[in-house]
Amino acid sequence: MNTRNELLCIWSAVIFVVIFTLGLWPLANFLPPHLPTAGAEEIATLYQDRTWQIRLGLFLMMGCSGLICAFVAAITVAIKRMEKSAGVLTYAQLSAGTCGAVFLIVPCLVWTAAAFRPERSAELTLLLNDLGWILLFMPFTTFVVQNIAIGLAVLGDRGEPPVLPRWVGFFNLWVAVLFIPGGLLTFFKTGPFAWSGLFVYWVPLVVFLSWYLVMFVMLRQAAIKHGSTA
Amino acid sequence: MTQTLKARAPHLPGEAGVWVFILGDMAMFAALFITFVYYRRADVAGFVHSQHALNQQLGALNTFFMLTSSWCVALAVHAARAGLARRAQGWLLAGMACAVSFVVVKFFEYSEKIAAGITLTSNDFFMYYYMLTGLHLLHVLLGLGVLSYLWRSLCAPAGHSTLRTLESGACFWHMVDILWIVLFALLYMLR
Repeated sequence: MNTRNELLCIWSAVIFVVIFTLGLWPLANFLPPHLPTAGAEEIATLYQDRTWQIRLGLFLMMGCSGLICAFVAAITVAIKRMEKSAGVLTYAQLSAGTCGAVFLIVPCLVWTAAAFRPERSAELTLLLNDLGWILLFMPFTTFVVQNIAIGLAVLGDRGEPPVLPRWVGFFNLWVAVLFIPGGLLTFFKTGPFAWSGLFVYWVPLVVFLSWYLVMFVMLRQAAIKHGSTA
Repeated sequence: MTQTLKARAPHLPGEAGVWVFILGDMAMFAALFITFVYYRRADVAGFVHSQHALNQQLGALNTFFMLTSSWCVALAVHAARAGLARRAQGWLLAGMACAVSFVVVKFFEYSEKIAAGITLTSNDFFMYYYMLTGLHLLHVLLGLGVLSYLWRSLCAPAGHSTLRTLESGACFWHMVDILWIVLFALLYMLR
């Protein structure tokens, strides 16, 4: 195994988090989130006033999301080491993680369609804006499967020493639980379970981004250790 | 045996890593409880009024099942420490029976509410009622999985790692119990 390439894939997590945050926050200004209660005119004005910043921000968010695939590959290799050969958890994590990347790229494209013709009917901009938020924050399912696969692989690792410390396994299981309330945004327009709420936007977003950083640190250590012993 | 020697030293039940999950999960529920109290302050009268629609008897019955279940699992750990794997399995089964009863009662409680036209979107109080009890119910179902896993692990010859797994799982189950106690007090009792 080529440790240099492995580290390259692992570092892609940090690049992803930095560029994604840059696009989401100062550029597109989707942090804090739009309110689900906002009217069509209000949302359309947002796209009209900040057309270029939103386009550029979404371009960066979409552009860095492919790096997730590289990072998923690095996790896959680590799980393969835990399972001794590529077992079901290796493939479960690989496929769920890859699907997860799609649900970051597609919402950016939908919002881009809204920013593409900001002068169009406000109702249509509202529709595209809704669709983008729902696409980004509702699909917890692939992330949950990915985190559970990682959690079970880490906890099932009988190696001495294990590839990743056991707390990383429990951490992943916890993260899986935290993503689930996101799916409930379908029922609410206000309160903590609306897409602008604490348990759908803030907690999952912070957890999602910090998960990358935790996994980056732990996988980097594991890859260096594996490279020096292999 | 290593376990009897270790028991004299300060002892963290379960493995250290499981506490990452337990404390993390409790932090999430703490945030949910604080949000509930925060929104309740804005409309105490409305929350208290909605609370009257809850079935206190069923809530109390479920508190009984939760506490009994937790107690059974504690007895299972006790039995396993004494090397009585069969007895430990028996207590685990009793704990699981209580957990299943909890789920059944919850099913009837939800049906009663839905039949009365009370749903997730009726008002803020019922949003919290369904969300908090729903997330807790998810933990109960996960816990049933954990308890069955523990029951199976006791089929293997007892060793130090089995006991530690048992303790880890039991800690998770006690957390589910504690969360219910707080939940019951907040949703059903708080005036």
